[in-house]
Amino acid sequence: MAKIPIPIPALVDRFGPHLNTEPPGGWTTAGEPDRVVKTHCCFCGQQCGIQLKVKDNQVIGFEPWEDFPFNRGKLCPKGVKRYLQGAHPDRLMDPLERVDGEGFVPTTWDNALDRTASEIRRIQQQYGPDAFAMLSGASLTNEKAYLMGKFARVAVRSANIDYNGRLCMVSAAAASKKIFGVDRAANPWEDILHAKVILVAGANVAECAPITTHYLWEARERGAKIIVLDPRMTPVGRTADLYIPVRSGGDIGIFNGMLQVMIERGWIDRAFISGHTTGWEKVEETVRRYTPEFAAKIAGVPAEMIIKAAEMWGPAATSFLLHARGIEHHSKGVDNCMAAIQLVLATGRIGRAGCGYAMITGQGNGQGGREQGQKADQLPGARDIENPEHRAHIARVWGVEEPSIPRKGLSNYEIIHAIHEGKIKGLLSICCNPMISLPDSAYVRAALEKLEFYAVVDFFLSESARHADIVLPGSLMEEDEGTTTNVEGRVIHHKKAVDPPGNARVDWQIICDLARRLGSDKFEYRSPREIFDELRRASQGGVADYFGITWERIDREYGVSWPCPAPDHPGTPRLYQNGRFFHADGKAHFHPIEWRPAAEEPDAEYPIVLTTGRVVSHFLSGNQTRRIAGLMKQEPEPFCEIHPRLAGTLGVAEGDFVKVESRRGAVTVKARVVKTIRPDTVFIPYHWPSDRAANRCTIGALDPISKIPEYKICAVRVMKTARPVDALAMLSPAAGGVE
Amino acid sequence: MNGLGFFLDYSRCIGCQACVQACEECDTHRGRSMIHLETIQRQDSVQTAPQICMHCEDPICAQVCPADAIKKTPDGVVQSSLKPRCIGCSNCVLSCPFGVPKYYAEIDQMMKCDMCYDRTSVGKKPMCATVCPSQALAFTTLEEMQRSRQGHAIQDWTFGQENVRTKVYLWVPEETVRFQIDLVQIQGPSRIQEDRNDVAALLED
Amino acid sequence: MPGKEKTGVLNEDTLHATFWGLVVAVMLSAGIYFGSRRLRDFDPALVSYAGASVFCAFGLAYRYAMWLRRPPTRLYWFRGWQIFLRPSKLAGNLMMFVRLFFQSFVEQRFIDRRSHSRWAAHWLIAWGCILAAMVTFPLSFGWVRFESAPGSQDVYRAFAGGVPVFSFRLDSPIAPLIFNVLDVAAVMVLAGVFLAFRRRARDRGALAVQQFANDLLPLLLLFAVCITGLFLTASAHWFRGLHYGFLSQLHAVTVIFTLLYLPFGKFFHIFQRPAQLGVAFYKQAGQQGPPAVCHRCKKAFATAMHVEDLKSVQRQIGVEYELEGSGHYQDVCPSCRRQTLALAQDMAWRDTRRPGSTR
Repeated sequence: MAKIPIPIPALVDRFGPHLNTEPPGGWTTAGEPDRVVKTHCCFCGQQCGIQLKVKDNQVIGFEPWEDFPFNRGKLCPKGVKRYLQGAHPDRLMDPLERVDGEGFVPTTWDNALDRTASEIRRIQQQYGPDAFAMLSGASLTNEKAYLMGKFARVAVRSANIDYNGRLCMVSAAAASKKIFGVDRAANPWEDILHAKVILVAGANVAECAPITTHYLWEARERGAKIIVLDPRMTPVGRTADLYIPVRSGGDIGIFNGMLQVMIERGWIDRAFISGHTTGWEKVEETVRRYTPEFAAKIAGVPAEMIIKAAEMWGPAATSFLLHARGIEHHSKGVDNCMAAIQLVLATGRIGRAGCGYAMITGQGNGQGGREQGQKADQLPGARDIENPEHRAHIARVWGVEEPSIPRKGLSNYEIIHAIHEGKIKGLLSICCNPMISLPDSAYVRAALEKLEFYAVVDFFLSESARHADIVLPGSLMEEDEGTTTNVEGRVIHHKKAVDPPGNARVDWQIICDLARRLGSDKFEYRSPREIFDELRRASQGGVADYFGITWERIDREYGVSWPCPAPDHPGTPRLYQNGRFFHADGKAHFHPIEWRPAAEEPDAEYPIVLTTGRVVSHFLSGNQTRRIAGLMKQEPEPFCEIHPRLAGTLGVAEGDFVKVESRRGAVTVKARVVKTIRPDTVFIPYHWPSDRAANRCTIGALDPISKIPEYKICAVRVMKTARPVDALAMLSPAAGGVE
Repeated sequence: MNGLGFFLDYSRCIGCQACVQACEECDTHRGRSMIHLETIQRQDSVQTAPQICMHCEDPICAQVCPADAIKKTPDGVVQSSLKPRCIGCSNCVLSCPFGVPKYYAEIDQMMKCDMCYDRTSVGKKPMCATVCPSQALAFTTLEEMQRSRQGHAIQDWTFGQENVRTKVYLWVPEETVRFQIDLVQIQGPSRIQEDRNDVAALLED
Repeated sequence: MPGKEKTGVLNEDTLHATFWGLVVAVMLSAGIYFGSRRLRDFDPALVSYAGASVFCAFGLAYRYAMWLRRPPTRLYWFRGWQIFLRPSKLAGNLMMFVRLFFQSFVEQRFIDRRSHSRWAAHWLIAWGCILAAMVTFPLSFGWVRFESAPGSQDVYRAFAGGVPVFSFRLDSPIAPLIFNVLDVAAVMVLAGVFLAFRRRARDRGALAVQQFANDLLPLLLLFAVCITGLFLTASAHWFRGLHYGFLSQLHAVTVIFTLLYLPFGKFFHIFQRPAQLGVAFYKQAGQQGPPAVCHRCKKAFATAMHVEDLKSVQRQIGVEYELEGSGHYQDVCPSCRRQTLALAQDMAWRDTRRPGSTR
């Protein structure tokens, strides 16, 4: 019965989002902090170094950490203001139990954990072991990600665990794996500086990975040309050497078109291709049809742009590809990424300084979170859950029988489907907020409401946690210790700055306590370091080999990049230096890519493309950033970017409210009439809840390989409407209201 | 300040407002952000630009201050108005050629960017320039700038007939030696409406 | 700086200011002479205080006159009085003056909005000093004296200018208050000084910008004056006059030094700061007139009176904002100035990076 116990306004009143405007003790400038802790930002995959100032067991401010090499003190607004999550009025301090009509009432840990454990077992006994599922997150430390995978397979013994990296990095991961046999950025960020041409495909670097901007600008100072692909003119696109306003979902047109021109003009490294790759012939055959004119139709841009891009990319001495959600969030996300990466491979410009590519992972531990075995199809060390040798190795590390480890389970959105189908009856989620971050919110809400039991571990009562039967108050990054793996594949160390407040507990202890109640004796850790040491052994010999990495080495060396198979191994910042790839044959594998339409292209009824994304001041579902006053001031509510030409035909002016409606749902937001977006496309950022949630409109179509949802394109119609005056619109913008 | 200088390159700005958020953390004005972040003409462009105090050699804000409340430190940093003196007239706000000082009605006082004097006076970098992800705001040595960037630094500006020399450097292309603002530049922003910022126009080529 | 062309000590400004300094010093001297009934009520023991006060008055007038020579100050001074004294508005202005005086001077609320401790410190120091000044200056000038009533040793009488103003019995409750009013003032000031020192020792912002001569010396002076004054009381009441002579000389030294410092240090703001009230009237008058509209964005950004006055000040001090072509930079609002600079610089880079590019 995972229905909201009392109306949303009442829940908002009690649990927020409220805004934290000041550090603990106010904007005082008196006195000095007790200590300054060198750690990392909790938000995006760049994992910038930052120092937190601590006084009286509270984080009271920050100081840039200029020695950390990745960001050298630089921070985005989220990093600057992240410390205001700490002493926050909305912070959950006690386990909560849902009481229909009353809301959430505090309960004891014993009661909360006992009830969760007994519900897990009841559901499994009644409906089968896989009827209880877990949704985890990629903002967890490696230790916690590892623990969640083990918890699902060893304690709960359900196949159905997946994580919210499924909404984020999986297309990039699958593409890299198919081509190179490994899933990681090929190069450290340092290599961007040495590239003579940089292709930024579907990445709004300025807003989603701001620190990377400096790398781009420094490369430009050294003479690099920058090409940007985006349906919106982004701040980096504004001054790029070539900005291509590609149609959402038309990227393969650009990539195949570029490759076609490069073949025609002889800008292909045939020696490299024959020596180090397989499958080129089929690619060459496929792209032959993608003449600039043909490709331009797919991409929705003038053919000259494709030619110009090829002319910049093709003959360059060094080059770097950066790609992100813009090409990954598609039902052909894996194909998009492969088509892009093959531009790198065809020129042989990989595995050396200034040559390579990287996916810009979105979540805090986007990289590490997908390696430690919390994916439905993976075991630790990025091992394959269906591979007998991999299973045997992990069974040894875990001290369990190999057959007891469940097989491949359902992916994130497939779990939602399975709830609808009645196959999954119970859910435990941690570090995710599916009500906001999954597509087709109405469908997701209906699924949560069908659950017989739903437990949530979170530090704030997220929009999803409102549906929970039991809420377990967990910890912020700065309240626990552990490692994450940044966008470069560099494993870094998050230090503990303060204790969790009130009765809140660190996440790993909550999971271990639950495992014990489920009768497992495999979770007797005394510290996250012990979890990390087990993780090292579990990953040993796998693709993502962490065995040689220790916390001490991380601190000493400002992070260590995997694979690092031995304590005396220097780590591997740059992959493929020896021209060998991770497939068994040592070669990279080309795949012919054909463009195909999106699951839902615009039509007469819904004639406009909706694309969604982020703004710089908010992170993911906004559960954290919508509670920080400075960040809310920067971007208080979502908006609909619309080109004046389209706005003109719709009779919409700047600041008008518009209803953006798809076949699945509608949102009402203010129009932002700007010339910086394609006239056939509108954009809404997705960080807000209820009637302001862009994901009410998006479509639950998945990539067949990566199972990533198609956030970047669906069909909508847009109409001017009156200012909404319902109860939800009257809430504060942080809670989904309008200003 | 050990050869360290403040360098401003508006063209690098990505509008993330890290500077605005971080400025608030500076101890000499904690809780109040002194930096300006202009969203220049959002309907036409995503261009944004930060404005810090340029710390003039002969600050016009101080010249027009009736209360003699604006002082420069020996190291050339123009400070916020002296609290006992400032009479809140806003002469400085209106006269500064860079549009820097801010008047706070509730305390009846002008405050402005003081180059994070709490930090720079003890050898640390200012908050905004330390965090700035695009390094549109950079606090480093002139040599490092010359080594790592195209263009060069200038300190000379002309507003109408008025020559101004600033402690903070503007980073400009090699051929620009003095930054001149006249009617042409002021009316110039119509240039932002050029087709290269209009995605629809780009698609028509 | 304004008047950059003026050099030498005896330029027009200093002569002018010296003249005003002398006028005020002479007026005060005359005031002392006549106010003390041709020195009959003057206490010769306090002559050094009176002398320092006369010098202080010279200094204050000199400094004030110098200050008013600055074009922006002069403009506000004349405009302020002009606006305040407009006959049609005088009644309303007086009302507003009373209100502003109460808020800004009596309560000092604007300081409270900066920080409570800062307000508490300032309020205690300010009112402690005012209280002390109200007693000590009339006493040392011989304007006020106390003596016991001819009929009774138990009744004390106060004279102002030789005229008896009031009397009180020694055993009445107000007697100790009157005798110890300076001690009360000293305690108030000391409490304020303590709070101020505490803030200046702990506040990271204050630590960064404070200077000894400007910010700490005044506090030290106040501390010295108060503590030596309290020593005098302690010596007289509890230690049977131990070292009284030395202590009173020490006290005199601290007071005289403070008086001499007054016109030239931080304390000058006591005389300067009331200009704040003039600015309030100026702003109000400006708002009743037309707004200044930005040349670029066409939005109102100030009052037209203010912008025109500024242009005139700028002319006087040699700031030349007249634009090539036509127009005046002062007619561009601050936001448009910032935008103009960024656009021009960005355009310069675009033209360099992609000459002739239209994409």
